Amino acid sequence: MQQHHRRYIFRNGFSNLIHFSLYLIVALLLFSCAKDHPIREETDPPPNGNSSSYSDGFFIINEGNFNWGNSSVTFISELDGSVQQEVFQQANNSRLGDVAQSMKILNDRGYIVVNNSSTVEVVDLKTFISIKSIEGFNSPRYIEFIDSNKAYVTNLYGDISVVDLNSLTITKTIKTPEWTEGMLKYQHYMLVTCIGSFNEPSSKRKAKLLIIDSREDRIIDSIQTGKEPLGIVIDKKLKLWVLCSGGWDGFEPPALFRINPDLREIEKAFTFTGATETPSRLSINPTGDTLYFLKNGIYQMSVSDTGIPASPFIPASGKLFYGLAIHPVDGTIFATDAIDYVQNGVAFQFSSSVGTQLDTWTTGRIPGSFCFGDIQHSKNLD
Amino acid sequence: MKPKETLLSLLTGLIMILSASGQEVSDTLRLKEIEVKANFPVDHMGFKRVRLDSTILMPHIDANLSTILSQYSTIFIKSYGNNNLATPSFRGTTAHHTQVEWNGININSPMLGQTDLSQVPVSQFDGIEILYGAASIARSSGAFGGIVNLTTKPDWNNRLNVTLAQTFASFNNYSTNLNAVVGNTNIQSHTKVNFNKGKNDFRFYNDYTRSVMNQINSSYLKYGFSEDLFAKINKRHLISAKIWYSHNDTDIPPVTTNINPDHKEKQRDRSLRSLIEYKYVARKFNISMRSALVDQYMNYVNDSLEANHQYYSFINRFRFQYTGFSKVTVKPGLDLTYDWVNSDAYDGQKRRYILGGFAEIIYVPNPKLTFSFLAREDLIDGQFMPFIPAIGVKYKPFRKTNISFSGNIARNYRYPTLNDLYWDLFGNPDLLPEISYIAEAGIAWNLLNANRTLFIEAEITGYYSFIEDMIMWLPSSGSGAIWKPMNITEVLARGIETGINGSLLVRDATIQLNATYNFCKSTYEKTKSAGDASLGKQLIYIPVHSVNATLRASLKDFYFSYTVNYVSKRYTGTDNQSFMPGYNVSNIFFGKNFQLINFVLSLQLEINNLFDLDYQSIANRPMPGRNFAITIRGTITSKSDQ
Repeated sequence: MQQHHRRYIFRNGFSNLIHFSLYLIVALLLFSCAKDHPIREETDPPPNGNSSSYSDGFFIINEGNFNWGNSSVTFISELDGSVQQEVFQQANNSRLGDVAQSMKILNDRGYIVVNNSSTVEVVDLKTFISIKSIEGFNSPRYIEFIDSNKAYVTNLYGDISVVDLNSLTITKTIKTPEWTEGMLKYQHYMLVTCIGSFNEPSSKRKAKLLIIDSREDRIIDSIQTGKEPLGIVIDKKLKLWVLCSGGWDGFEPPALFRINPDLREIEKAFTFTGATETPSRLSINPTGDTLYFLKNGIYQMSVSDTGIPASPFIPASGKLFYGLAIHPVDGTIFATDAIDYVQNGVAFQFSSSVGTQLDTWTTGRIPGSFCFGDIQHSKNLD
Repeated sequence: MKPKETLLSLLTGLIMILSASGQEVSDTLRLKEIEVKANFPVDHMGFKRVRLDSTILMPHIDANLSTILSQYSTIFIKSYGNNNLATPSFRGTTAHHTQVEWNGININSPMLGQTDLSQVPVSQFDGIEILYGAASIARSSGAFGGIVNLTTKPDWNNRLNVTLAQTFASFNNYSTNLNAVVGNTNIQSHTKVNFNKGKNDFRFYNDYTRSVMNQINSSYLKYGFSEDLFAKINKRHLISAKIWYSHNDTDIPPVTTNINPDHKEKQRDRSLRSLIEYKYVARKFNISMRSALVDQYMNYVNDSLEANHQYYSFINRFRFQYTGFSKVTVKPGLDLTYDWVNSDAYDGQKRRYILGGFAEIIYVPNPKLTFSFLAREDLIDGQFMPFIPAIGVKYKPFRKTNISFSGNIARNYRYPTLNDLYWDLFGNPDLLPEISYIAEAGIAWNLLNANRTLFIEAEITGYYSFIEDMIMWLPSSGSGAIWKPMNITEVLARGIETGINGSLLVRDATIQLNATYNFCKSTYEKTKSAGDASLGKQLIYIPVHSVNATLRASLKDFYFSYTVNYVSKRYTGTDNQSFMPGYNVSNIFFGKNFQLINFVLSLQLEINNLFDLDYQSIANRPMPGRNFAITIRGTITSKSDQ
């Protein structure tokens, strides 16, 4: 057949050349007929639809890869243990953004801080449909509520944004020495960890705990801490605990500080000695008597301990823990593993009494934080 | 079977019926007779090489290397946007495993270990030589995928050839190119100037903002100048001196989820490359020497930081070839490279020298059979690197039928990049070299009819390669703050490359068809930690299937070209649970040549993304829809009378 075809072309010369080329063009066009729907990132398997309610469960906020625009939210129902991925994308048919850092809930609204998209997505918690995407932040990190009308948002650069929760706009900014991170409301003050200029080495950064009068939105005092104060919690005796990494460049050993918020002074400093993994993700249990943090494994430490525990409560056992949170009601331990940071992560639940694994779920890309609803915020507040 | 796959098999089937199957885009069509070029150079039996020549390149004089490779080669190009960062994936490997060379000189950054193909203008070279897999060992170590060599070569019959081309393209993109070649039988001079400037603000639909918008911060200014001098003395000595300066200012557009009108991200690159070559050809031996100096400066600025990187590379290559034995050719060689880096990202200046010894023995027991034995041993900063052996064989059993069988087996290694070793606080000076084992086998066939009006060429090659101790950057602590490169994974890359190349000449018309189909399975073979779901999964952003097909036709002074490129889905996660769907994009161009004795004026219209596909090659990095380019090209030619 092949032979015949070739001879045919030669014998009939030019007119058949035209046919031959038309034949090829048609074949190529047929092959290349354009796909109707746009070529965009998809998941396999696709997300399994939306929940009718997001009240009885908790959220895992998946950061996604920096500059890949693939952050997402995973919902886990505490009623039936079902898992829903890509909750925001499913509800809104739009991407959540780049590097979702954290999420808080107040009055049936979820506030998702999307760091590298510089937005706070406000969603209706019943449907997860976006109410508004608040813009204008300088690389936002965390949101904390002053009351039902006002919230603060910390930023990597320059200031703390004051957000009006009714109009969902930034009403003013509180100038800070650059990068602000963790927040804790104490009486009418907002206590904010401040790391210093984002682009400077630790030696040049001035790390401190800022004390802001939330009635006037004004910094009234500050307490010097170790380098990179990333985490802050308050215990049952109303003592602050601040975890400092010592600097990303290993400027000084990491340290855990106990601070008296009324006297505004450091009462105790626990230094992590020896070449160790950097501690991170300081958390506290609902009764306010036990601290948790990651340092390869998961560490558990009583607020009355006189030293940092020598070994982890839950060893890493081949995992690379990335996120940590304590359930605000039952006190169980939640942790995540981002694996290689280029695949879906895993979340674990461990018992707080014996440390055994209770449950595990698949998450989205780089699960960084948890959001358990507004129970957490009302606690420990005056 | 999905519609896409059905179409794919339909096309493949059609191609089989029409001619056969195969590969190679090298031959050129000349008036009334097809000029046939050999596929594989005599001195590299058993190792696959492919050439793309000026007939492929000339209509794309305004384009960059990524356009050419993505449309005409089996190398997959990861493109971050129109005229923006583009990196190659060759035979299922990463961008670090493709070495880009300029006249045999490595131009991959020793810091990053790769080249941004969008910064290499097509107008600055005459041809592209692609060395597949182990064929690269003759040049250097580490190019597990292969080598893309940009060449400029003299035509001793040329007296004068001056081309000036001006392109006006969509999105306020412009390109001006001048190419002046003058000389005689003993001396030739090539002068090339390229100037490319674009606002590049193409429209696209943003799913994040849910609106149609113009791309922001996407403009570029790229220009370059090169001068090549070739001199021939007594037909025995060939001396050439080449210099190439290039200047690239590129704005880096944000991902679709980070649209901020104040977004600022910019990269400035300046490079000066110079090269001296000397070749001596005697009756029984020949010598070639080349010495190059590369000076590269890079500046990166974004909203919050600025970094400067400067490096110099001094590259020397010496080759000797003895042909005095009847059945054996011996080719020893010596390579010396010295890299010097001063970077804001390193703690102080870093230097590295590489001394490499190379030997090749070609044994031809009879005219049908050729064996090639290669060996390479490198010494890097006083440390002996893994030994590289390679064996190639080529068998051509018939006298009348042009069919040949070839195969090779080799071991190769890649030394970590300077960033891997020295990036301040993050680098890992304890890294080991990556090791690769590769085997390949292929069949090539071609046919030229008696009156030289039909040429068909077909090729199929299968390869199987295993990479161990592959370097990956991973967080070294749970806090995710410090990432370090580690010899952590293993990759198995195997695939099949097939292609055809057919040329047909009928009276005043020519038709050319080039098609390649590439199957590539490249998978992770070792888990990195507990719970790692990547085992056995395809590497991210590497398609399993890809097809390139080009149909070119010319009738008298009219010419036409239609190209379609298909890539299957590319995974965006190592667990293969997220992906970019497969797509195909069609490009056409057509034009007319107006001939006036020694002067040819060409008018050409190019339509890219003919069917206006709304696509992204990298997730959340938009690509332009249908776009146009008009090129006016004038060429004055004068040849010697021979």
